[in-house]
Amino acid sequence: MEKGRALMRWTAILVTFVMASFLMGSPAVFGVKTPPQKTLERRADIIRIDSMRVFGKLTRPPVTYLHQKHTEALENKNKDCSACHLSQDNRLSTKFMRLQNTAKEEVMDIYHTNCISCHKASAADKEKSGPVVCGECHKDGAGVLSSWRPIGMDKSLHYRHTKAQADKCENCHHVYNEATKKLYYAKGKEGTCRYCHQAATEDNRISMRLASHMECVGCHRQTLAKNESAGPITCNGCHDAGQQKLIEKLKNVPRMAANQPDFVFVKKIKGNGKTTNPATRMNLVPFNHKDHETYNDTCRVCHHAELQSCVSCHTLDGAKEGDFVKLEQAMHRLNAEQSCIGCHESKQTNQSCAGCHTSFERKRQQGTSACVNCHMVPNSRVSDEVQRSEEKMEAATVLENRQAVAAVYNVEDIPQTVTIETLMNQYEPVKMPHRQIFQAMINKIDRNKLANYFHYENGTVCQGCHHNSPAAKTPPKCVSCHGRPFNEKDPFKPGLMAAYHRQCMECHKAMEINKPVSTDCTACHAKRS
Amino acid sequence: MSISRRKFLGWLGAAGLGTALSKTARAASNKRFDGYPQSSGVLFDSTRCIGCRKCEEGCNRVNELPEPDRSFSDLSVLDSERRTTAKAYTIVNRYDASSGAESPLYRKVQCNHCLEPACASVCFVRAFTKTESGAVTYDASVCVGCRYCMIACPFEIPAYEYNNAFSPRIMKCTMCHPRIIKGLLPGCVEACPTEALTYGKREELLRIGRERIRRFPERYVDHIYGENEMGGTSWLYLSGVPFKDLAMREDLGVTPAPRLTSGALSGVPIVVGLWPVLLTGIYAINKRKEKIEQQEKEQAVAAALEKAGAEAKAKMTAAMESAEQQKAKAIEAAVGKALEEAAKAAEKSASDTQAEDADKKSSEEDS
Repeated sequence: MEKGRALMRWTAILVTFVMASFLMGSPAVFGVKTPPQKTLERRADIIRIDSMRVFGKLTRPPVTYLHQKHTEALENKNKDCSACHLSQDNRLSTKFMRLQNTAKEEVMDIYHTNCISCHKASAADKEKSGPVVCGECHKDGAGVLSSWRPIGMDKSLHYRHTKAQADKCENCHHVYNEATKKLYYAKGKEGTCRYCHQAATEDNRISMRLASHMECVGCHRQTLAKNESAGPITCNGCHDAGQQKLIEKLKNVPRMAANQPDFVFVKKIKGNGKTTNPATRMNLVPFNHKDHETYNDTCRVCHHAELQSCVSCHTLDGAKEGDFVKLEQAMHRLNAEQSCIGCHESKQTNQSCAGCHTSFERKRQQGTSACVNCHMVPNSRVSDEVQRSEEKMEAATVLENRQAVAAVYNVEDIPQTVTIETLMNQYEPVKMPHRQIFQAMINKIDRNKLANYFHYENGTVCQGCHHNSPAAKTPPKCVSCHGRPFNEKDPFKPGLMAAYHRQCMECHKAMEINKPVSTDCTACHAKRS
Repeated sequence: MSISRRKFLGWLGAAGLGTALSKTARAASNKRFDGYPQSSGVLFDSTRCIGCRKCEEGCNRVNELPEPDRSFSDLSVLDSERRTTAKAYTIVNRYDASSGAESPLYRKVQCNHCLEPACASVCFVRAFTKTESGAVTYDASVCVGCRYCMIACPFEIPAYEYNNAFSPRIMKCTMCHPRIIKGLLPGCVEACPTEALTYGKREELLRIGRERIRRFPERYVDHIYGENEMGGTSWLYLSGVPFKDLAMREDLGVTPAPRLTSGALSGVPIVVGLWPVLLTGIYAINKRKEKIEQQEKEQAVAAALEKAGAEAKAKMTAAMESAEQQKAKAIEAAVGKALEEAAKAAEKSASDTQAEDADKKSSEEDS
């Protein structure tokens, strides 16, 4: 009996042990819940100090440093940038208390000694001060969210700078001379900073981040030192969304002088003069360069790599300079803001356009007949002998003669009201003010040159609702295609009820037409008694 | 019973082997279940939902549920977040615009009809069934009201008729099982004016969902909720914002609920069935070994005793014999000696008394 009890005890222990090991294997048994997120402060001045990374793997988490907080604190003590940044040749180093990353220990000491001593000093003065122990700076998780916004030199800002610098382009623009390894100013070759200064510092060129902070902030500081008005020198001044709005924006900015044409044919082969070639079969595209300058804030929106014609990199067959993106792709590619169609397509998200265009799949909607909308001029009209200036004249004439008015049917041909009664069940039929809707749509795009050019067929505007059938004065009825829902043979076609509701509601939502409210059934159809 | 270290380790080893062997069996029996082929489901597209509550109304009508406290056309109920109740198999919640969305977002809440339902796995009377139609149905006639299903459900769906004192039931969406087997649409799907709910075969719905994401990549988050969550559900969701913004749990993982416990539970038959046999066997073997040992020992003792007895006897005999011999020898020696002495004496007397001898001889001759 005694023996048997001991045996039972051991068995029980073993069973518990094995059961426990099973349960341990599945952590989901202990429903682990993530703690609720607390709202974090949003700042534009967050710097992650991970400078030690250049010396190898970090041994401590990087420090989240709030730059603006420090500049403000120092300003209160009548200290300026030089409290933390050394300068060389009248230029502030962006590094902290040093000009170069010398050795690991040395750089580490620079941070530790200077940060801690200053924090201690201000604490001794009974002021609000920073941490002095390791874990309070080196901690995982930033504890703040970034609201940092990039800033660029738009047309207005550029013009304000050229005015302030009295048209001395050389104050900012430079190029690198490979032979002498020096920077010099090349007149007529000015381009966007980003053409050379890329995301990361390379051999002979510093990163865009470094270049802009050294040059912009450096110049602003020097100007301020002369008691003249200058741009911002703090993080928030440039990178905070609210402060960015305060930057003065000029309405009438004169065209930038960069030898650009007013009107031009999109060139198909490199070199000057010759625009035609037996190999190029497509009609020529005249391009209104002057107007497109007004549509965009910067040159680099289109000229993304250099201020040259597109074909200089994007050749017909693709070339290495153009990353083998062919001219056809460079002009037509969707989802690329530099390409013609990519940019035109992005305009469809405008409130006036979104009603129809959000419900379309992102692809080229129009048939091949639409090509001639841009490819307007047959090759033969601009022969090899034609001079460049005459060619520009020709392009100008073609574009100026073009009518920017959407083609529509006669108003009388458009039904005044359409009664939808096919589905009548719980509600009375809907009397849709058909013509009124059409008029509203036309009014929306009335002043939109782009929209007017591209709604070129009489029925194009109608196709916003009467989709998937050719533009026609008498398009098929909705019920011709839409019927019973969830047809397994045609799963992507909504049933008739959903087709009606979604067509109206999604368009109203996209165009921000708030009345009638989608959930107010009786606003469109009265309840049947 | 005292137990030796060696014995204990031996048992442990055997027990370990027993479990190790069972692992192979478990791998074979626990293959992934991807839902019944051709089973139905519903795809909810939150970008299409307008929050009209028609689905709630439709559900209420076809399931003959009690009148709601506030009418279905009263949209102010959306001001607070709700859950499913014994009176409402489905509800719509509004989530106010968060990251990136301008207008409020809506989500319909109802049973997700898991491919491997947690409610069914905890129910010890099998009141829940994952039917081949895709619906998870409930049988009130066997329900004992333990409400384990309510605790097990990761989506907090089953509700209980607390107000019904005598025959309370668990109440939850049935995907309108009686309707779909008749070829009708679920009540909510039929009522939805915008086809925010799409009814069809689950596999087809996944295809539709992926195609919508492909056609409108800006409109959707590239994920179909329910494709893999909790091992997959028959109700699938598309959204334009991260699913957590629609208060949908993103921490559930892809393991079906039953599998979380199947590991431990599959050990039970082995523990209950195999271990007693195994351990009793070991015990019996040990017991037998002890018995045999005992027997052998006794035998050995007996043999030894016997041997000793025999030996002693032999010794005794030998000793007796040697004693006998000695005795004989001694007698012989004594006899010899006596004879010798006698001879000597005879000789002496002979020489002394030759005459006598002669006399004697004569006398002897006389005598």
